[in-house]
Formats: sequence, structure tokens, C-alpha cells
Amino acid sequence: MSAAPRSIDCREAVERLYEYLDQELTPEVRAEVEHHLRSCAGCFRHFDFERAFLRFLEARARGRGAGPEVKQRILRELFGPEEA
Amino acid sequence: MTPTTEERRRQFEAEALPHLDAVYRYAHTLAGDPTQAEDLTQETMLKALRAWHQFERGSNARAWLLTILRNTFINEYRRRQHQGETVDLAGLEPYHVFREVQEVDPEGRFFANIVDDEVLRAIGALPEEFREVVWLSDVEGFPYAEVARLLEVPIGTVKSRLFRARHALQQRLYDYAVEMGYVKRRAS
Ligand SMILES: [Zn+2]
Repeated sequence: MSAAPRSIDCREAVERLYEYLDQELTPEVRAEVEHHLRSCAGCFRHFDFERAFLRFLEARARGRGAGPEVKQRILRELFGPEEA
Repeated sequence: MTPTTEERRRQFEAEALPHLDAVYRYAHTLAGDPTQAEDLTQETMLKALRAWHQFERGSNARAWLLTILRNTFINEYRRRQHQGETVDLAGLEPYHVFREVQEVDPEGRFFANIVDDEVLRAIGALPEEFREVVWLSDVEGFPYAEVARLLEVPIGTVKSRLFRARHALQQRLYDYAVEMGYVKRRAS
């Protein structure tokens, strides 16, 4: 078992907010942030809000794919008319 | 069709074609309109098919395709690109929106009312270097290191651009939500 995570304050936790949500932290720092979130309702809510925003952003923006006609045209261009 | 051509085509269909939507989405984000997005997508996929022997099997095909796309855009399209509105990213107060809504809607439920088009407009209004970072990270889900490689900038630049781009988007979409009555502006 590793030692208990270092204690960090709200400022330090929020500085790590995006790296935390983006899963870019080392396990130790991640544990520090999580330790703080368990004991700080304010940061917990803030992190939750930012996570909700990022999920919303992704869901809305991914909707714009190439339509079926566009795909057909591109495939035809790539492999010839047999694909159509 | 020679066996090598057939083999190449099979590989391309299995490994590159599943990313056609991602290529098109990014093309649309860069070029700003569907006609150019289609041309750019087509050109990218053609180049990729021709260069398929250079693709390192087992590496990230989506990142490879988006790199080809980006180079094509920079070399052949950027000059023609219509410059629309761009937002000013200076002077954004960190996490301003959360502070505004934490009493009335801390879970950000108002976001659910905002439609796709409004979000895409907001992303489209970002300056190009911010638009790209937010797209690759938040829509395509690439880790910082991959975004940095794709854009040929340091990871620190990815982080700072991402920070500002997310704040700018949040502010704009919040203002829109207030205007539409999806959330009440905090009384000051
Ligand atoms: Zn805190």
C-alpha cells in the first residue's frame, strides 16, 4: 500500500481540474485531487459542472458526420463506380 | 485488380474508412463549410489511399488521417478560407460561468437545451489555433501528447489553448442560454 495522498487546497485542486478530467495526471497527483474532492463539496460541484460541460460539448459536436450521399461520392472517387 | 492492390484496398477499408466521419468533421471544422469539407475529405482519403504503404500498421490511423487532412488544408485551402467572425479570447476570467450558475444550476442542466448548431457555431467562431485544439481534444478525444504531435506545438501550448478555448466556449454558450431564457443570470 502507498502512503496517504498529500493534502492539497482548493486552489491547487482547481489548477489540476482539466488535467484531472482529461485523465492526464499521474496516479499520485490524481489521488491527491480525489482526496481533496472527497472532503470539499465546493470543488466537487465545480469539477462535476466542468465534466458535464465537456460531455455536452462532445455530444453536440460529434453529431456532424458526413451524410450517406457524401460518403457514396467519396467511395466512388476512391474505388471507382462499382462501390456506388 | 492485382492482389497487392486488392490487399491494400482491404486494409484501407478496414483501418482507414471507419474514420471517414472523423475526417469529415475535422475538415468541416477547419474549412468552415460543407462543400469545402467534402472536397477536403475526398482529397485526404485519396492521398491516404495512395500513401497507404507509408502508414505504420498498428499505429493510430485516425491521427494519421487527420495529419494528412491538416497538411492538405494548410497547403491548399487556407488561402481560400473565408474568415468569419472570431471571438476575442483575452480577458477571460477563469471559471466565470461556474461561479455565475453555481447557485441556480450547478449541474449545468441548461446546456441540454442548447442545440448542435449553436455549439458548432461557437466552435467555428474560435480563432483557428484554438478551434483545432478544442476539436482534437474535446471532440476527438486525443490525449494532450497526441494533439501536440498533430499540431506540432509543445504540450504546454495545448494545455493553455485548451484552457482558453473551453472558457471562451463556455462563456459564449452561457450568454446564449441566458438570452434564450434557459438559465437566469445571477442578480448582481
Ligand atoms: Zn476545494
